[in-house]
Amino acid sequence: MSAASPAASVARRAMRDARVRTISFAYLFGAIAYIQPAAYRHAYPTPSSRVAFAHSFANNKAIRLFYGVPRDLLTVGGYTAWRVGGTLAIIAAVFGLLAAVRALRTEEDAGRMELLLAGVVGRGTAYLSALAAVAACVLIIALAEFAGLLLGGLPAGACAYLAVATASIVPVFVGVGAIASQLAPSRRMALELGGAAVAVFLLLRVIADTSSGAGWLRWATPLGWAEELRPFTGARPLVLLLPAAASVVLLVAAARIAAGRDIGTGVLPARDAGEPRLHLLSSATAQALRSERGSLIVWLTSVGAFACIIGVIARSASSAGISKSLQREFAKLGSGSITTPSGYLALVFIFFVLAVSLFACVQIGGAAAEESGQRLETLLALPLGRRRWLGGRLLLAAVASVALSLAAGLLSWAGAESAGVSISLPRMLEAGANCLPVALLFLGIAALAYAVVPRASAGIAYGLVTVAFLWNLSGSLLGAPKWLVELTPFAHVGLVPAQPFRAPAAVIMLALAGLTSVSALWAFARRDLSGV
Amino acid sequence: MQPVIHTEALCKRYGSTVALDRLDLTVEAGEVYGYLGPNGAGKTTTIRLLLGLHRPSSGRARLFGLDAWGDPVSAHRRVAYVAGEPFLWPALTSAETFEFLGRLHGGTDVAYRDVLVERFRLDTRKKIRALSKGNRQKVQLIAALATRASLLLLDEPTSGLDPLMEMAFRECVKEASERGQTVFLSSHILSEVEAVCDRVGILRDGRLVDQGTLQELRHLSAQTVEVTFTEPAPQLPALAGVEVSSAGPKALRFEVSGSIGPLIAMLAAHPVATLTSREPSLEEIFLHHYEGPGGDVGG
Repeated sequence: MSAASPAASVARRAMRDARVRTISFAYLFGAIAYIQPAAYRHAYPTPSSRVAFAHSFANNKAIRLFYGVPRDLLTVGGYTAWRVGGTLAIIAAVFGLLAAVRALRTEEDAGRMELLLAGVVGRGTAYLSALAAVAACVLIIALAEFAGLLLGGLPAGACAYLAVATASIVPVFVGVGAIASQLAPSRRMALELGGAAVAVFLLLRVIADTSSGAGWLRWATPLGWAEELRPFTGARPLVLLLPAAASVVLLVAAARIAAGRDIGTGVLPARDAGEPRLHLLSSATAQALRSERGSLIVWLTSVGAFACIIGVIARSASSAGISKSLQREFAKLGSGSITTPSGYLALVFIFFVLAVSLFACVQIGGAAAEESGQRLETLLALPLGRRRWLGGRLLLAAVASVALSLAAGLLSWAGAESAGVSISLPRMLEAGANCLPVALLFLGIAALAYAVVPRASAGIAYGLVTVAFLWNLSGSLLGAPKWLVELTPFAHVGLVPAQPFRAPAAVIMLALAGLTSVSALWAFARRDLSGV
Repeated sequence: MQPVIHTEALCKRYGSTVALDRLDLTVEAGEVYGYLGPNGAGKTTTIRLLLGLHRPSSGRARLFGLDAWGDPVSAHRRVAYVAGEPFLWPALTSAETFEFLGRLHGGTDVAYRDVLVERFRLDTRKKIRALSKGNRQKVQLIAALATRASLLLLDEPTSGLDPLMEMAFRECVKEASERGQTVFLSSHILSEVEAVCDRVGILRDGRLVDQGTLQELRHLSAQTVEVTFTEPAPQLPALAGVEVSSAGPKALRFEVSGSIGPLIAMLAAHPVATLTSREPSLEEIFLHHYEGPGGDVGG
């Protein structure tokens, strides 16, 4: 260690810091890359089943929303490029943004960058070291995707090209995150700016992929470039020049801004003073709502916007040309029938179940941050009981989850209505409410994890939600026994509005949610607060 | 009358580390108690146990006769706490922080708070994230002092304050004491404790090694007596409790623990030119306790 150059030490520390995030994303990339080709082979073994599948999907705009435009659905490679490439491009963008903001703004926000620059490390070196660490993490993730595809039985050269196509997105969004980190004076604002950029680019891709005549818009978004690289379907490696050029431009621009500003500030002014605003300070729960307000609005807007788009697109779900046997295959995907608007909405709402579950975990993460930031010590030294504090946070999370779920139902209904699809509002609100049993169950589990092992709780909560969701998608496709597939709560969600609401399963999940929440309150009142 | 703070054989272990070892501590109402020890001696652990934030491994702690772990909420109505590190809500301004903490505590003397804001020269319009550590420390202090709580639990409250503000702080502690509030002041700054505290406890490696008023502690420790003679210093017989060392050709230095009487009687037979004696400062008492085996002050 002592012999290493300062730059190498900085990069190594940044990598250590990012190891949990890198490992989680690598696992996600590897798992998705392996599951898709394996599942396709399993579900569509014969050329005729593939032709039928391709026919039904070729014009289904509803499906393109998540995965982009399919180029070739008759080969394992073509299908994989579409499903894996389309999804992972979005996840890669998120990874790039998180990595950049963590390395370039959070460090500075926490004052650690100041410490570093006071030593022998110069600004340029610190910046390049941080980028080198991110590059190493990207390499690990791309290798995980490559290995997953290879295990899925695809040719090595094409696998490598698809992995490169996905990875090429990351530096662009590292650039976006780097710019956001220079503009925003705080970590939170940097993430909000970067998140908005990801959302806009995703929206551009959705429009390009779903509206006729708007295909050219794909060239305007990095997420579209990944599609235009066309892995497995007539590769166009020259397109790689686009992400390469964009990354260089963004990163150089960020470096120039970084060189010209004071440490600890951003280009945008921070609103650091003002007349007191005394609303939402009457209790710890009210103040929690006050500090989470911004993030709640972001969640509500993005889930609402997404629900609205989905409602509009539901119109294009139709049964034209889909055989009965193929529809049975869809049933295996756990998606009901995507041949009707309500079937399509039911399929998509399983993603809202996931979103609301993740939201619940985020809320517990907010509570845990009060403790790790040692503000909880100040709160609990006041006449405020522990159960009351955690109970308030749980209540807030539950109420916000209800709002989020109902917003998804309401806005997808509004979207469908505006596109001329007739669907019942109560039924769509029911579809929204149907997200709640699973989400509240994960809220309880996350709270219990926090109460017992505060430091590991985030990993446990997000890990369980992700594994449970992927297992629901892939378990039945991989032919796992029924009881094993049914271990995940997601398997017990009735696909409302296509299927009836499954009351018994919901009651059991809600009971478990109650049990875990009560256990969490009990356990939390019995442990030491974690402190330095 | 019920003691404000009372602990019986209070122990705290973290894994195999003993952070606090059989602490017996009593602080009576109205006292200003200085809790001295270097970093890592167990001061913050004691306060966390008193506040019921951590659970005792054995023994018990009571505030106002209420069990600190079992019934913290009732006790906390009469307590104001200043944490060692000023971690507050970055997006709130100081004024908003006062409002929030005041509402949760359930009683704030707003007029006194305004006096304190003036005295500590705090800009209450600024958000916490824009304040320096010293200024964030002021926010905590003002919020705590303005509650006029019966017990002030202060964990190294002056870290980050400049000397002027340190003087303002001492003034506040004196005011609190005059008003009958009890103050428990954990510190490693001896001059601060010496200036404001009635009674002092010295903590070392999780054990209370000495306790008493400054007066009492001084009596327990060695006094230094320096004597010069009109002729070369004589050879003196050994005396119990007295250590002799040379301080020059005609001078001797005596470190006396206990009574100074026998030494004076013996010196009467010799040609003494000058004799000076001085009491040990708190610093010397403190160092005396830390110079034993394993007692590095850095601990």
